[in-house]
Amino acid sequence: MASFLPQFQSIKTSFDHVVLAVEDVSDLWPIVKKGFEERLPFRRAFLNNKTRNPVLVDELPAEYILTTDARLRSRFPQEQALFWFREPYATIVLVTCEDLDEFKNILKPRLKLIVQNDEREWFIVFVSKAPAHNDQATKMAKKVYAKLEVDFSSKKRERCCKLDLHGPDGHSWEDLEAKVMECIRNTLDRRIHFYEDEIRKLSEQRFMPVWNFCNFFILKESLAFMFEIAHLHEDALREYDELELCYLETVNMAGKRRDFGGLEQGDDQATLLDPGKKALAQIVQDDSFREFEFRQYLFACQAKLLFKLSRPFEVGSRGYSFIISFSKALALHERLLPFCMREVWVITACLALIDATASHYKDGLAAADVEKEFYRVQGELYTLCRTKFMRLGYLIGYGSDIDRSPVNSASLSMLPWPKPAVWPSLPSNASSEVLAKEKMILQESARPKHFGIQRKPLPLEPSVLLREANRRRASLSAGNMLELFDGRPYTNDGSGSPSPLPKGNTLSMSRTFSSTGNFEGSIDAPMRLAEIYVAAEHALRSTISDVEMWKSLSSVEEFEQKYLDLTKGAANNYHRSWWKRHGVVLDGEIAAVYHKHENYDFAANLYEKVCALYAGEGWENLLVEVLPNLAECQKILNDQAGYLSSCVRLLSLDKGLFLTKERQAFQSEVVRLAHSEMEHPVPLDVSSLIRFSGNQGPPLELCDGDPGTLSVMLRSGFPDDITLESLSLTLSATNNTDEGAKAVKKSEAIVLRPGRNNINFPLPPQKPGSYVLGVLTGQIGQLRFRSHSSSKSGPADTDDFSSYEKPTRPILKVAKPRSLVDLTAAVSSALLMNESQWVGIIVKPIDYSLKGAVLHIDTGPGLRIEDRHGIEIEKHEVGSRKTPNLDNQPDNLSPVSAAVKQLIPEDGKISLPDWTSNITSVLWIPLLAVSDGLAKGTPAGTVVPPRQNVVDGLRTIALKLDFGASHNQTFEKTIAVHFTNPFHVSTRVADKCNDGTLLLQVILQSQVKASLVIYDAWLDLQDGFAHAGKADGRPASSFFPLVVSSKSRAGILFTICLADTLAKDEAKQLDPASILNIRYTISGSRKLGAHSPVTEELSEPDNIKAEHLTFRSALVLQRPVLDPCLAVGFLPLPSSGIRVGQLVTMKWRVERLKDSEETMPSDNLDEVLYEVDINSENWMVAGRKRGYVSLSSKQGSRIEISILCLPLVAGYVRPPQLGLPNVGETNISCNPPGPHLVCVLPSPLSSSYCVPAA
Amino acid sequence: MASTACFMIVSKNDIPIYEAEVGTVPKKEDAAHQHQFILHAALDIVQDMAWTTSAMFLKAIDRFNDLVVSVYVTAG
Repeated sequence: MASFLPQFQSIKTSFDHVVLAVEDVSDLWPIVKKGFEERLPFRRAFLNNKTRNPVLVDELPAEYILTTDARLRSRFPQEQALFWFREPYATIVLVTCEDLDEFKNILKPRLKLIVQNDEREWFIVFVSKAPAHNDQATKMAKKVYAKLEVDFSSKKRERCCKLDLHGPDGHSWEDLEAKVMECIRNTLDRRIHFYEDEIRKLSEQRFMPVWNFCNFFILKESLAFMFEIAHLHEDALREYDELELCYLETVNMAGKRRDFGGLEQGDDQATLLDPGKKALAQIVQDDSFREFEFRQYLFACQAKLLFKLSRPFEVGSRGYSFIISFSKALALHERLLPFCMREVWVITACLALIDATASHYKDGLAAADVEKEFYRVQGELYTLCRTKFMRLGYLIGYGSDIDRSPVNSASLSMLPWPKPAVWPSLPSNASSEVLAKEKMILQESARPKHFGIQRKPLPLEPSVLLREANRRRASLSAGNMLELFDGRPYTNDGSGSPSPLPKGNTLSMSRTFSSTGNFEGSIDAPMRLAEIYVAAEHALRSTISDVEMWKSLSSVEEFEQKYLDLTKGAANNYHRSWWKRHGVVLDGEIAAVYHKHENYDFAANLYEKVCALYAGEGWENLLVEVLPNLAECQKILNDQAGYLSSCVRLLSLDKGLFLTKERQAFQSEVVRLAHSEMEHPVPLDVSSLIRFSGNQGPPLELCDGDPGTLSVMLRSGFPDDITLESLSLTLSATNNTDEGAKAVKKSEAIVLRPGRNNINFPLPPQKPGSYVLGVLTGQIGQLRFRSHSSSKSGPADTDDFSSYEKPTRPILKVAKPRSLVDLTAAVSSALLMNESQWVGIIVKPIDYSLKGAVLHIDTGPGLRIEDRHGIEIEKHEVGSRKTPNLDNQPDNLSPVSAAVKQLIPEDGKISLPDWTSNITSVLWIPLLAVSDGLAKGTPAGTVVPPRQNVVDGLRTIALKLDFGASHNQTFEKTIAVHFTNPFHVSTRVADKCNDGTLLLQVILQSQVKASLVIYDAWLDLQDGFAHAGKADGRPASSFFPLVVSSKSRAGILFTICLADTLAKDEAKQLDPASILNIRYTISGSRKLGAHSPVTEELSEPDNIKAEHLTFRSALVLQRPVLDPCLAVGFLPLPSSGIRVGQLVTMKWRVERLKDSEETMPSDNLDEVLYEVDINSENWMVAGRKRGYVSLSSKQGSRIEISILCLPLVAGYVRPPQLGLPNVGETNISCNPPGPHLVCVLPSPLSSSYCVPAA
Repeated sequence: MASTACFMIVSKNDIPIYEAEVGTVPKKEDAAHQHQFILHAALDIVQDMAWTTSAMFLKAIDRFNDLVVSVYVTAG
């Protein structure tokens, strides 16, 4: 069967649709052909797939072939069975007949003959040529067709259909197509069944010696092909998948050794997408196929079907795994294949796959995740291709042009060297090329990294190429391996110094070499690196058949171009697949190429992306590789801001990643740039480099309005000291976000040491609230930096990544305004008027230091400071108030004690001493309250409004205290101090003696909280009075000293008598009142109230001799009236009594007792004013209450005043009273002399209200 | 056989927070770079995989020549 392969191949290439046979019985085909073929391909065909499920095929191409056609005639039966798929799927018998007899006699037997024999699917198309208007012909055609149906259609199946050439179209064609489709479906089912049977039969022999894979393949592929032409691509694909599985099983079956293939010219180019590249017959080997070609063929068939199914993504993903697995297969046979065949094949396969899938793929057709996957696979293919391409480049000496980045290093250093049986040896005529390579090797020098960073380059090779190549050379014996490294300067081929090979290697090597038996001519010294390169180049040239590919390896420039293309392709696809890390890393590789070619602009852009990725995710080890390159590009591009930022980022990386020297280089660059002539100040974020935090412990607490000093800890990440021109820090209030952050500044230059620095910021007064650290800004030369990273609380050394999740700790708390100090009067009781007195003011700091406080004292009117004396200050002791017994208090009035200090006021200002700054102290100010008027005595019994007294004695002191750290706080208060006279004096006449002398009692009421001692008292009498006897107005001296305790009373009696008066006018002017003089001393404590006046002799020991004070009080004495001039008598009421509701006449009789001229000089008109005082609740007055009555001024004249009243209430009530307002009370003699009561009876019962008892 | 392995804990923001080179092979300077690079690149795969499965252990998600990347995704 295998011999049919070439034929099979040719059939497959020429045949791609379903064939339908046309048996043209009545020569109708030329007429109907057009109509038939117009309707091809079939639309919306339903076919059954392998599992007998209907599948909708959108489009089924088909061809009508007459049975007389040569293509259908010359076929051998065996071929027919094998390639059944190309046999017609239906036979359409075209007939026409217009005569029943003709049908019966000629047509019917013929048709019977045609349809009887085989199992072909057939049906008869009766073509009616009758024109529509010819009823006769139409009728006849109908009859014939009916007859035809009777004869050929069965109940099971209708095998006839009618096509009316002139009739209406439509229905008849649909019927025809349905018939055709039914036939195709049936045929397909039957053939599938047949192939399946055959395949099953063959499969059962799989483990028998007769098993032939080629036979199996032909059957299986025939089936697959049949599916394909029926457009059942899914089923076809499944067949190929099964075929592949079966083949791999066959290949891997142990015991059978087969050629792998891949040794022919052009095999290096992958044919995984071109099934027709090589004829299958060429790759037959015994009973199977060569693996190299056949697997690619199978994949190509699959890929073709997948493309037809519009699944380019699947081609890509299947292709990628195919390449990987095929590459492994190549590795197994690498020893037999040309040098680097595997790498070359993978490169071409990847590129072919990429091209094919990309051209078939249309964006937006697939689902989003499929699209992502598609691009990812594209990226993977590019990456694979790129890796292999780099490997080839390295082998021929372009290694130094490959960036030794982590990605390249990771790709290449783990990828084993090619393992040819024998490493290619140097062609004889290549000495000039070797020289050129030598030169290239010598010229290349590792480009010095920016900042003088010295790094061991990352490896691009799994082991030293020199050693590997020489080890694999047939010409070297195992013995001289060690000579390799002797006396030979080591060229720059990567890394590491030569090390003796392990001894185990020698054995394995000798075996390797002996087994190949492929010794080449010269047995000489080991190859040098340049020779290895040249040898590899020559070997590759013979391996690579593709001109384009060889071109891209022919020179460094071409290599780089291709390398760049591949890298870009990979990066772009990774980006489109959202694998940003893969994409960005490759962007870094592109940047490296641009960097090398001094295309710094592009390089910087791409490097920035890479750095942003690594920095954003914190992969510092990887960032270290790229960031210096970015910095270099930025420096060359004169991007100062970028360069500075890169330097700062370099500095902020983990210290272990760079040497101190390198870090110093970064810093010096920053400083140099900052102080160079930059056009504009450059803002820079140094959050990672300069961190700051408040000091440990509770936040600084300030009172409202106070300035302070904020201590902030700065951590400098610079390796050396660095000078900052200025530094400022913003504070943001936590409670009030509307208000912007406030900045505190430190304008002088600061030198930051590496590590921890404590910086004190002067803090102006802030609003109340709690503040957290905001942003730190500062300036280094032209560089304006800012740092946001306040490393909150906690141990500042930990570089913990989660610090931003911690709540912010307030650094400063400014308290709400509150009283910080209080000034109160020390004494609440009254002090002595007109004497200098100590006024105590308690200065009480409320949790606030009064250091440096200044008190301004401003006395109000009637008060002045006694400048002669200093102001005293002492500690205020609460306990000192617990001595209530004034009398027992020693007269220690001298305030000087250990705790008392003298202060001298300046312009009304006093600076409080420091020792008082935190304690409550009392300030004693000597003050004199001045009152011009004399104290006035009052007659006993009269009530003097006390308020008047108090107001008279009230003085105010306005106090203003400036305090606080910078005298920013002010406290103002006005204190009222009460001054009073020592005594309140009242007088009464105690007795009127018969001889005209009067006993005048003077009552002294102490007004102060101190004991007073009266030493002397005398009375300067006013005109009209004289002292009785010879006395000088003094009481008996034996009474003195008289002690008057606090708030107690004392009395002194004076005997006086009336004296003649002087002329009235003079008397009034000279001496309106008598004066009481009292000489006294006071013994009281200033802590309680009044005390002895401030004296200059503060240190005088004998306090008793303290100066006697004099108190003077005016007393107004009135001459007593001895005889009243008028008499008022209440006349008796009617005897019947008075009743409520009955009018009653009240009568008074007024009688002049003596002539009025003397006593009442003003009342010359003899008119006397009267007034009735009446209680309106008890009485109602009918008539005038007030009026004048005429009364003769003669002695004895009388008059009667009567008033009609109505009593309102019953009981004893006070009757109305008659008063004479113009006459002094003393001149009236009343009868009855005092108030009296009268009895008012209830109103008489009213009989009209009484109901007589029954 | 000498083996090398790198163990790394990566925070939710893809930031490496712990790294340890384990294994019997003497520590190579460039291995650290290589391992970091491979693990970093593997995050691309993790970010896709983590949402497709409810399993926490994602098994071997990536292979880099001889090195295999296995991932365990923690909850939360």
